[in-house]
Amino acid sequence: MSLTFTTVIGLEIHVQLNTRTKLFCGCSTDYIGATPNTNICPLCTGQPGTLPVLNERVVELGVRAGLALGCTINRVTRFDRKNYFYPDLPKAYQISEFYVPLAEKGEVTVTGDDGKPYKVGITRLHLEEDAGKLVHGASDGRIVGSTQSFVDYNRSSVPLAEIVSEPDITSPRMAKEYVATLRQMVRYLGVSDGDMEKGSMRVDANISLKVSDGRWGNRVEVKNMNSLRALERALEFEIRRQGAILSDGGEIHQETRNWDDSAGETSSSRSKEESNDYRYFTEPDLPPLVLSDSYIEDIERDLPELPWEKKARYERDFDLPQDDISVLTEQKDLAEYFEACVKAGASPARASNWIRTEVLRVLNERGGHISEFSLSPAALVELLRMVEGKKLSTTAAKEVFDAMVSREISLKEAIDACGVTAGNLSGDGLASLVQSVLEANGDVVEVIRSCDDKKDKKRKFLQGQVMKEARGQADPREVAKILDIELPR
Amino acid sequence: MELFRLSATEVAFGVRDGRFSAEDVVRSCLSRIESKEPEIHAMLTVTAEAAIARARELDGRRSAGEDLGPLGGVPVILKDNMCTAGVKTTCASRILEEWVPPYDATVVRLLLKAGAVLLGKANMDEFAMGGSTENSAFGVTSNPWALDRVPGGSSGGSAAAVAAGYAPIALGSDTGGSIRQPASFCGVYGLKPTYGRTSRYGLVAFASSLDQIGPFARTAEDVALVMEVLGVHDPMDSTSQPVPPDDFSQALSARDLKGKRIGYLKEVAEYDYDDRMKNALSKAMKACEEAGAEMVEISLGTAIDHGLASYYILAPAEASSNLARFDGVRYGSSSKDPESLMELYLKTRKDGFGDEVKRRILTGTYVLSAGFYDAYYLKAQKVRKVIKQEFAKAFEKVDSIILPPSPTPAFKVGELIDDPIAMYMADVFTIPVNMAGLPGISINVGFSEEGLPLGVQFIAPRWGEKELLSTAAVMESRFGGAKIADGGDL
Ligand SMILES: [Zn+2]
Repeated sequence: MSLTFTTVIGLEIHVQLNTRTKLFCGCSTDYIGATPNTNICPLCTGQPGTLPVLNERVVELGVRAGLALGCTINRVTRFDRKNYFYPDLPKAYQISEFYVPLAEKGEVTVTGDDGKPYKVGITRLHLEEDAGKLVHGASDGRIVGSTQSFVDYNRSSVPLAEIVSEPDITSPRMAKEYVATLRQMVRYLGVSDGDMEKGSMRVDANISLKVSDGRWGNRVEVKNMNSLRALERALEFEIRRQGAILSDGGEIHQETRNWDDSAGETSSSRSKEESNDYRYFTEPDLPPLVLSDSYIEDIERDLPELPWEKKARYERDFDLPQDDISVLTEQKDLAEYFEACVKAGASPARASNWIRTEVLRVLNERGGHISEFSLSPAALVELLRMVEGKKLSTTAAKEVFDAMVSREISLKEAIDACGVTAGNLSGDGLASLVQSVLEANGDVVEVIRSCDDKKDKKRKFLQGQVMKEARGQADPREVAKILDIELPR
Repeated sequence: MELFRLSATEVAFGVRDGRFSAEDVVRSCLSRIESKEPEIHAMLTVTAEAAIARARELDGRRSAGEDLGPLGGVPVILKDNMCTAGVKTTCASRILEEWVPPYDATVVRLLLKAGAVLLGKANMDEFAMGGSTENSAFGVTSNPWALDRVPGGSSGGSAAAVAAGYAPIALGSDTGGSIRQPASFCGVYGLKPTYGRTSRYGLVAFASSLDQIGPFARTAEDVALVMEVLGVHDPMDSTSQPVPPDDFSQALSARDLKGKRIGYLKEVAEYDYDDRMKNALSKAMKACEEAGAEMVEISLGTAIDHGLASYYILAPAEASSNLARFDGVRYGSSSKDPESLMELYLKTRKDGFGDEVKRRILTGTYVLSAGFYDAYYLKAQKVRKVIKQEFAKAFEKVDSIILPPSPTPAFKVGELIDDPIAMYMADVFTIPVNMAGLPGISINVGFSEEGLPLGVQFIAPRWGEKELLSTAAVMESRFGGAKIADGGDL
């Protein structure tokens, strides 16, 4: 009898909160690319005698995220000290909310393995400070073989929210969707930029397997996954690895493993292998954090529409393909752009189509963000109206669009610059253009004349060629009429 | 009159009125330090040149018509656990022997803003752990009244400095009695303010929930003067309470204690302690009664019976965490050429910390460990809560409480050093005050036959410093202010 396995995954996600200054001091949180040890002060380097002062903005962002996750916000919380020695931890303790988290008991809905909506429980969200960074002296940057290490405290005391899920996740795909959903959420809320590559969103996974014969494998913690794809691959690898061991009757070693993305495998982590006793106790340097009902209500009232709420509303209000809805709601700013277009009078289908094909194309090419896009929704809608009113062909409109965006000029200026008003080319001018196209495509004309043009395919080709040569300035109906005269059916 | 004998209030007035210069005062104090220091050794650092330069600067500003502030030209000495930018702050420990802080403690900033002149840093028990200043890594301090005796601790250097006439004011820190007990041993006034009254920013932490900075002085008036400078809210210390600054000097106008109810403890009366201290207490109680106070017997059973044991769980627990940062990585001493990170930690801390500090780190680590936390740390926290409630109840009946600051007068150097438990027991009457976050003051009420200073302690409800200062002023009018120890010719 062959064994089957049930996968049990719980995720711990550290999200760097979007503040200008650190959790307990006034230093800049901007550590990426900064010269080491420039954004530091006596406090975040743990100088004797310094005392933490809580950054209120961090609490606000934490409450915002907690509410969006449907958590209960604890009215009275305390910070605690997590004691351990490590050179990147300047005080030799990390200030974190251990005993009572800021928020607890929430949930996030993802797609279940059966395709139906599935709720993943949120155990807790708590605030804590980040540690510094170790830079090792070996030429390959690794610990092994290095003769000296350096510490950069720029990241020390940068604010984090740790979001811990229940072990409700049942597949790597679901884990990936869960993280993507949280990432989208924190971005919507403006709570974090949620960048896994840069490390402003770090995911640790706890994974264990339950065997069909009743055995349970020990839990393994997997770290160092720097993208959604890496998370999925790492979990898939662990399921295979643990499954193979359990199939052979072996035991899973309870440990922390690091994902190596290039090797495509996890390996046992050497550091912090022994079990730590963190000797948590309440941080005496900070008074209890007491939040009033009105404080929480104010934050709740200011919550933006959440991505999943927006999606549901689009499904209800707009007749759009599911794929369009996903693309439009992926980023809050893009959705807002879309909605502004609809509000200015564009049909949802046409607005969606143009945003997906043209706006996103330009943004991709230029690497910009929708919030900095030069073309206002109103200007785009004006252009779309010309297309709807047949004043511009779609081809011409795209040319005008490009001109408006690249040269930051008005619609009228762009049309003039491109010289593409529909109907500009007609009568004799258009007739002679048709003539030249027919001459250049003698073989096609021959096929049509010999009545071999199945379903008018060749005729349409010629029409297209003329329209292209006319650069959108011809009325397609007039072109068709001239073609009918030149090539009678 | 030698200027070093003046009180802070007299110095500030004299400098303001141009009767003498700040430089004259500073030079007088510095020469006093120079002549007495070989036998007392109260100082770890004397910043003579900087002090003279500072005094000249103040004198220049005064000549230009500027108001120097309430402490204009007043020399002040700091316990060496308060950070001074550019001046070594050692905590009397090898591990910080060469450490120069990059910033000033808030109290230092406030003193300078008020016109004070810093003369240097005073000796102490290493990291403020001890009651005799014998735990200093840089030698013991002698009691100015009896050189073979200790000055008390942990702020022994500060207390001895004020008693010896080095400066009219010194700051100490009090975690379990470290201001009040040395004040009693050295015959000066020492105030431990309400927890949250003075800023701890820049005070190298021993036990964060108990530490509080306070002044030593030779008059009640000077204590009030310093507290008006230091008793302000500090946004850099989240445990500093935003209470409005108090007009402490106003409390000094009290002439009697009529209408006051002063509690004395049943537990103290039953406690077996030194007769000289018992006599001092009765003398003070009699004086209170004569001044019109009603003496009321009260009981603080938990505070006296269990305060000490709970304190020696909570304070080491916090200390074990606070002192973990001294690991040789960022500042302070660091073991040379370690083979590994672990060796760096172990060797740095083994060589850097003294025995008493190690003892408390070990105790603290133990009581916070998994499996012991509930039985020790959590239990002690519960006791602490009960002690607070007990005091709150007592203060429904009385305005203040009188008790000894220590079970004994100054003991001999070496007498208790090998008996840590006996040394801990000496804190029995001071610790409950820290556990409850209350203000307490120790004042001199006389001397024993062999010439040892004897003090009494008064404690008040939270924010009751004015109550203490009124009482101190009345006692001062009866017993006289603190005297300067001149040595040999008592
Ligand atoms: Zn900082």
